[in-house]
Amino acid sequence: MSEAVLSVENLSLRYRVPGGTVAALRNVSLAVRQGEVLGIAGESGCGKSTLAAAMIDLMGANAEVTSGEVRLNGRDILALSPAERRRLRGREIAMVFQDPMTAFSPVLTVGAQLVDFQFNLDGVPGREKWVRARDMLARVGLSDPELAMGRFPHELSGGMRQRAAIAAALLMRPAVLIADEPTTALDVTMEAQIVHLLRELQADYRCAIVIVTHHLGVIAELCDRVAVMYAGVVVEEAPVDALYHDPRHPYTRALLACDPARIEAATGRLPAIGGRLPDLSNLPPGCAFAARCGIATDRCRATPPPCVALGPGRSALCHEVTP
Amino acid sequence: MTALLSIRDVSVDLSAGGWFGGTAPLNILAGVTLEIVPGETLGLVGESGSGKTTLARAVLGLQPISGGRVRFDGRDLIQPADFRAIRSRTALMFQDATASLSPRMTVGEAVTEPFAIHGVAVNNHRDKAAELLVEVGLPPEMAARYPHELSGGQARRVGVARALALKPALVIADEPTAGLDVSVQAEILNLMADLKDKHGLSYLIITHNLALVRHVADRIAVLYLGRLVETGPTRAIFADPRHPYTRSLTAAEPKPDPRKRRTDLAIRGEIPSILRRPNGCEFHTRCPLARDICRTQPPALKDLDHGRAARCHFAENTTEGGRHELEY
Repeated sequence: MSEAVLSVENLSLRYRVPGGTVAALRNVSLAVRQGEVLGIAGESGCGKSTLAAAMIDLMGANAEVTSGEVRLNGRDILALSPAERRRLRGREIAMVFQDPMTAFSPVLTVGAQLVDFQFNLDGVPGREKWVRARDMLARVGLSDPELAMGRFPHELSGGMRQRAAIAAALLMRPAVLIADEPTTALDVTMEAQIVHLLRELQADYRCAIVIVTHHLGVIAELCDRVAVMYAGVVVEEAPVDALYHDPRHPYTRALLACDPARIEAATGRLPAIGGRLPDLSNLPPGCAFAARCGIATDRCRATPPPCVALGPGRSALCHEVTP
Repeated sequence: MTALLSIRDVSVDLSAGGWFGGTAPLNILAGVTLEIVPGETLGLVGESGSGKTTLARAVLGLQPISGGRVRFDGRDLIQPADFRAIRSRTALMFQDATASLSPRMTVGEAVTEPFAIHGVAVNNHRDKAAELLVEVGLPPEMAARYPHELSGGQARRVGVARALALKPALVIADEPTAGLDVSVQAEILNLMADLKDKHGLSYLIITHNLALVRHVADRIAVLYLGRLVETGPTRAIFADPRHPYTRSLTAAEPKPDPRKRRTDLAIRGEIPSILRRPNGCEFHTRCPLARDICRTQPPALKDLDHGRAARCHFAENTTEGGRHELEY
């Protein structure tokens, strides 16, 4: 197994908010290797987008890393100077956002922006950058790339804009691509096409991809490994097949059980998890999921759960799972 | 059973006018015919730009229709006054629940506002608000909150309470669970199902979430470019879709099972612009089964067995061969 291209080690991060702090990430460790697609799944507020932002060091101004490292090709990017980090972004690590409209500037053409994104590319004439940008638009499936180069973002459809955003992210051939809810804003037909495109590009470029989404279907279609997050911690990590066919953590099981796409027979009532996410500014002493968990014991409510290894690449953060 | 809502051949044209003048009107909906019987849930599905929301607006009289007829409970709705008269018996749940609530009104004021609008006397507003909130599973104390203090799921419940305030017969829900997590989505759908049983409601659910509509709708209508392309009982549509577009839509949905990965594309290309409707069958530009006739002859909506209909030249003979062809 090859070295991790990107790894997060014991990362804890909190947000300063009026009247206190919110623990967004607690002791998160994850790694992604070259050519691997890692999925990060979880519901709103679980910390998955914070983790994605931390991986490329784009956290908000009120974020504070209290411990841990983010290593990109061995270097801790959180320890670099802003100028050094800026050189890494785009070249070694790039990001695709949920809303492709806000990822582009509305006042410049797509082409002008794709040329600008290559500012890190030293000694290459502008004309060549333009050609590279056009070729990349063709690669991501824009039928008339020359025309698209001269268009403003609002003149492209949502699906085309997301394709252009993916082209922008891949222009510099980064080692890692982070995609935060890349298909959430799209129709099911466009979603299927973007999933298909990401799979093709991954096969061509062999970059590592991290997909952050709440959509369990997208993860199943694309990923090799999955990390499930809840209340700022990774509760389960597993190869994709094992996660969907033998989920071990009670939260993973509950999450899979209430996905209507996984329920074969039409049913008038759907299973729900019940209860709500704990208050992240005042977490319970034990397991954060205990209050909603069907098998929680007094121990779960009192002491934080251990990370239990469950075989190669598998682990769960739970008192009640056994290897 | 007589239909609660019946729309016959409804078209909506918008003038494209303006700067360049003389342009042909935009044909948003083209001859849509649908019925909802009391107690029924109809799911309206299609991609963005297929006319789903326009249809809902037309039903409520919020969008003037340029052709056809809307009937509610046996009454033709023609004048704005006709729509106003039935407005207390129909309710709309908006797509963005938080944005649909006034930021300056408390939850209690928001859920009792429909009574004031329709001039229905309420003895005690506080009791009424509490009653409505409890009905949708919210604590009565929530009446004092403002919309920005609510979670997405709570705002959605307030939207349900407001829609149900006047005990309507028909609730139109535009993407009732958009933006919600799966577990919260299940709670909202279960609430809607409970209320339907309790009050004998009919629902028109507009969504592009097929996994969801499969569980909640009795019948499904599929729109493409403002035209009805397939309709029928939910079970039949999912088990054996007759229109290639319906088949592509169900196939395109990412399956939450890594053993069922698609290796090919279920559907190519994008929905064409309404400004440039394709000739012949409007789906032919993306249809894997398209033949010469599809490029020239627009197919009619054909009635098939078991209350189904599909707008495809080959709707009757979707043989195993045809289906195989579709899988590429």
